[in-house]
Amino acid sequence: MTISTDSKNNRMKTAMLALVVVVGMTTAVLLARRIDTLRPTVAANADDESLYLDGKTARRISLAFNGLTADWYWMRSLQYVGRKMLNHPRDFPIDNLRELDVKLLAPLLDTTTTLDPEFLEPYEYAAIVLPSIDVQEAIRITQKGIQANPNAWRLYQHLGYIYWQQQDYQAAGETYGRGAKIPGAPAWMQAMKAKMAAEGGSRSTAREIYTRMYEQSGEEQVRNMARKRLLQLDSLDQRDGLSRVLSAFQARAGKCPNTWKEIEPIFRALRVPVDASGAPLDPAGVPYVLRSGTCEIQLDPKSAIPAK
Amino acid sequence: MDTAASITQSKTRTETRHGRFWRIRAIARNAFREAVRDRVLYNLVLFVLLLTGASIFIGELSGGQERKVIVDLGLSAMLLFGVFIAIFVGVGLVYKEIERRTIYAVFSKPVGRGEFLLGKYFGLCLTLLVNVLVMAVGVSLALAYVSRALDPLILTIWPAVLLIYIELVLLTAIALFFSSFSSPALSALLTFMVFVIGHFSADLKSLAASSGSTGARWLFTGLYYLLPNLANYSFITPAAHGRAPSAGFVFATALYALVYIAVILSIATLVFSRRNFK
Repeated sequence: MTISTDSKNNRMKTAMLALVVVVGMTTAVLLARRIDTLRPTVAANADDESLYLDGKTARRISLAFNGLTADWYWMRSLQYVGRKMLNHPRDFPIDNLRELDVKLLAPLLDTTTTLDPEFLEPYEYAAIVLPSIDVQEAIRITQKGIQANPNAWRLYQHLGYIYWQQQDYQAAGETYGRGAKIPGAPAWMQAMKAKMAAEGGSRSTAREIYTRMYEQSGEEQVRNMARKRLLQLDSLDQRDGLSRVLSAFQARAGKCPNTWKEIEPIFRALRVPVDASGAPLDPAGVPYVLRSGTCEIQLDPKSAIPAK
Repeated sequence: MDTAASITQSKTRTETRHGRFWRIRAIARNAFREAVRDRVLYNLVLFVLLLTGASIFIGELSGGQERKVIVDLGLSAMLLFGVFIAIFVGVGLVYKEIERRTIYAVFSKPVGRGEFLLGKYFGLCLTLLVNVLVMAVGVSLALAYVSRALDPLILTIWPAVLLIYIELVLLTAIALFFSSFSSPALSALLTFMVFVIGHFSADLKSLAASSGSTGARWLFTGLYYLLPNLANYSFITPAAHGRAPSAGFVFATALYALVYIAVILSIATLVFSRRNFK
């Protein structure tokens, strides 16, 4: 009888404790959600606090875990840019993030590369993303990478790219040339040096740069950006051709077409891909926009190809 | 089975063969069993969960750097878990025997205090070896999973794993040394401090070089040579880039650890031999 009562009491106690756990946890979750709603809303850029630690201090205190800490800073850099992009209504190519105000990116990448100087991807990211924000920091971080990894020819490719973007074709050529001398560097590095000297600002040089970037990069965002830039170059070539067609039409008809339909037969004869309305398609498959009565061709804002 | 009973069981062999070796072996085996019984190896479950999670989710977060992150994470966790085991189990090895008074039963047998310490030490080293080996296999499997092939990193992480193990056995000796004369809490604190300072060795050297006063220079130089240079065993980051240390480097660091462990355990034995348990 006593055992039965004890057992009953024990079961009651267990049930009561289980109930406290379930009810308690549920209440805690509900309260946490309520507190979240009561907290004043924070502006999207409010998390731009400065980094607590510089790279050297972080390296010291990370003891033997500097590699893991570098990975954490690297992921934080990617998340930081990603979050900024998500918070912005417009889509940006990663080589033109000036409007996003990503002022923490340079210190984040600097800390990452100080923690693990052999980690090459952050240097590439710095070379691609930073020039539109702080070109001097982009050059400094990439040069820091070259100093730490003198045999990594890809870092010379990145530095050459920064100089090329700044239209400093001489520095770009010299950098590609230095990189070409590194054992294992591909032959096109030497060719890039010559190309910079001969036609640094040409579309064919740009095409070569973005093609190599697309082929070499292991970072999906960088490859995606290079792909878009290549599409943009294709589109520029395409628009040059279309402009010539429009000029010929204007010379013959004495006016610019009001709609694409008017010159659709010419496009079809030239085997230019067009949609149902007769509008020629850009390399991303979106119809170009013709400003009525003018001979001006524009990219549709919906197109994946960057306008700038 | 406690340490005393284990020694009794190997008594026949103790009397007939090289007694010291068998006694140390019996104590070591018992220390290993005790660690397993205390569920020390349960940390492996957490480790496996950590690596599995990392293998699945890190790819998206790291921008295609999952192989590097897995090596960094896996080897860092191996070191961290190992350090916790070395410190928290290491400082309790002697203390538990004293507290449970089983040490009297042990020393009523023909067991020297040095043998007792060595046995305990090797027992924990064996526990750490099993722990490190299972974790290294786990990291290799995670790499094979994310690479979907035989990844070259699978081979290059093993020298780094060996260096981690050497660091852990060095730290175990230090934990045992402190526990031979102080309380577990203080021993754990002191061992952890040695672990931290051991990774600041380069700073100690540069502090000594840049110090203005002769006294400070001597102090920092002395600390640099007195404390173990654990930075020598940090090869996790290069391993994540596919770089392995040279055989000469591994040999030299292993020899350094061996000498250091011999010194530390000798001092621990000297201290422990003079300790009064009454």
